[in-house]
Amino acid sequence: MMRLLAVVAAITALAVACQRGSGPTLTVVIADYSKDHTRPFWQALAEQYGTQGGGKVDLRIIDWNSIDQQVSTMIQNNQPPDVLNLNSFSSYARDGLLYPADEVLSPATKDDFLESFARGGQYQGKLYGLPILSSARAFFYNRELFAKAGLAAPPGTWDEFVQAARKLQALGGGAIGYALPLGPEEAQAEWSIWMWNGGGDWKAGETWAIDSESNVRTLTFLADLANRHKVTQVNPGKTNRTDGAFQLFKDGKVGMVIGFSPLARQLDAEGKVKYGVAEMPTRLAKSVTLGVEDYLMAFKKKDNREAVKKFLDLYYQPDNITRWITAEGFLPVTKSGLERMRADARLKPYLDALPNARLAPTTDPAWDRVKLDVQQNIGLAVQPGGNPKQVLDQLQRNAVAAAAR
Amino acid sequence: MRARRWEALLWLGPSLALIAGVVFYPAVALVRASLGRYSITGVFQGFVGADNYARLLEQPALPAVLVNTAVWVAAVVSVTVIVSLGLAQLLNESFPGRGLVRAALIVPWAASLIMTSKLFVWIYDYYFGALNHLLTSLRLIVRPVDWLGDDATVMGAMIAVGIFVSLPFTTYVVLAGLAGIPDEVYEAARVDGASRWTTYRLVTLPLLKPALLVAVVLNVIYVFNSFPIVWTLNDRNPGFGHDTMITYMYKIAFKSALRDVGLAAALGVVNVALILVAVVVYLKTVRWEEAGA
Repeated sequence: MMRLLAVVAAITALAVACQRGSGPTLTVVIADYSKDHTRPFWQALAEQYGTQGGGKVDLRIIDWNSIDQQVSTMIQNNQPPDVLNLNSFSSYARDGLLYPADEVLSPATKDDFLESFARGGQYQGKLYGLPILSSARAFFYNRELFAKAGLAAPPGTWDEFVQAARKLQALGGGAIGYALPLGPEEAQAEWSIWMWNGGGDWKAGETWAIDSESNVRTLTFLADLANRHKVTQVNPGKTNRTDGAFQLFKDGKVGMVIGFSPLARQLDAEGKVKYGVAEMPTRLAKSVTLGVEDYLMAFKKKDNREAVKKFLDLYYQPDNITRWITAEGFLPVTKSGLERMRADARLKPYLDALPNARLAPTTDPAWDRVKLDVQQNIGLAVQPGGNPKQVLDQLQRNAVAAAAR
Repeated sequence: MRARRWEALLWLGPSLALIAGVVFYPAVALVRASLGRYSITGVFQGFVGADNYARLLEQPALPAVLVNTAVWVAAVVSVTVIVSLGLAQLLNESFPGRGLVRAALIVPWAASLIMTSKLFVWIYDYYFGALNHLLTSLRLIVRPVDWLGDDATVMGAMIAVGIFVSLPFTTYVVLAGLAGIPDEVYEAARVDGASRWTTYRLVTLPLLKPALLVAVVLNVIYVFNSFPIVWTLNDRNPGFGHDTMITYMYKIAFKSALRDVGLAAALGVVNVALILVAVVVYLKTVRWEEAGA
């Protein structure tokens, strides 16, 4: 018995010793962007934080499929993380869980954010969603298939797009004109880009405008691609992005797809498909693309402000943030990062697109529901017999209801 | 005497603590959550009584999901049991390599359900899948089928995987039942001149009843609660058209515009009640008490 007690005492002493260091243990929850880079970077950052006199970091890397669930569970159990990385922030700000940026960032760090991304992290005029990284979509086309179909250049207008898609599809041998992923994984991104280039938007001023005439026209256009022109892969309303559209493009079956820089990295690594990157075909005078901004949030907890601030300032040191963003193949969110990454020629098309990129209305807490609703339902509109107007009307009603909650 | 009682409690303690922690606490937490309202982030906003249950009944997707669940459970369990009866009979005979076949049968059981489901996603794939390749080469179908995207085939495709992963366990339960039947009764049947089929029908099947009861009850519970297969094979499909109660619950909590932990918890309580009722009704109809006799 005595020996057991001795062991327990030793373990306790050890645990206490590990706890020592200044400040509380920080729980840091990061989404898993890639198996190769995410954990190594954050592990190293946590160690750096420790050696610079910070406390312990409880680092949790969680995959995208289950992060919403795990974070929700943490909050239900009154054990929120100290620092959280996610693709939405405004609901957390509305629930009063977050520190505003002024309290957890040094002014130099805060001023380094690119204007548009700083705006994209505001809730009621204050910055809560700290931009962690960004990406911009671009239009990818398969050069070999284009050459075979006698297409000299990527399409600029929607009419040219339909013509190109038809010629590609007509090549036969399993060739697909355009891979359209409107399945639940990421449908809101695909839809945003088409919607904007069709002249519509999510909101008109402060009110939701999902069911606008222009949007009905755009969704009907997409449904026609699938059902009338038949230039998409099978069941586009039930195709996800990663294992559907991207997979088909990587396999060389698809003429055109909307991609982003991580897809380019995979294509370069595999070396199988000769591809080009262009601006999105549009009905507007100037093509629009989607910028996506992910966030870091600092949760208000007792006595954690100084430690959180120290940790965040460490991440936003230009060396650290740029090293990670480069490794993951994403785009910068800071002015200093933009300067450093300009040197990389492969990133040029995306960096050029960044100033013109529009963001989804992430600053509106209702968006967190609207996004899920679009992901779950917009695919129904492009199935045979689907009704684009009806689907958009329903999404609009739900968005208005979500805004009123 | 008193000291002895304490001693007993000491021995029972760990299991009691385990039951309290793993069974009792989650059940209480589930019921508690079902009576509350939660914001989208998971912040508790107060108790609302039976409000979540009332809202659950108003969900337009609920009837379709109930039907899906009934079809899913009934089809998987019934086909699994019937096929297992045959498989177990086969494995009960002695033939060269029996040990190997028995071992191979365990594999789908030992593999992780998510891995198995992912594997089947690729087997079923419209463009790259082995199944379409096989069926078109054999000229059984003219053009490929989008097994997981076509509304007509997705439930069947999921049921096939459900059966595939349920067979090992069920076959082993039946096999154990077969091993427990003494040779004398077969000898007696032979002496009486019973045919093979009559022997199976009047001797083997009745004596297998306890094993079959266990197999059916456990399978109903497993299959009803099975999340990975339906979740993985159905993840490309919009809406709730092919969900079962379990995946529907998850979508309500985290993946749909509802994002409502309280509502999902209410559905969780309903699920437990449903499964209890189903098992009790089943045991009543097959008269559990007589089975042992």
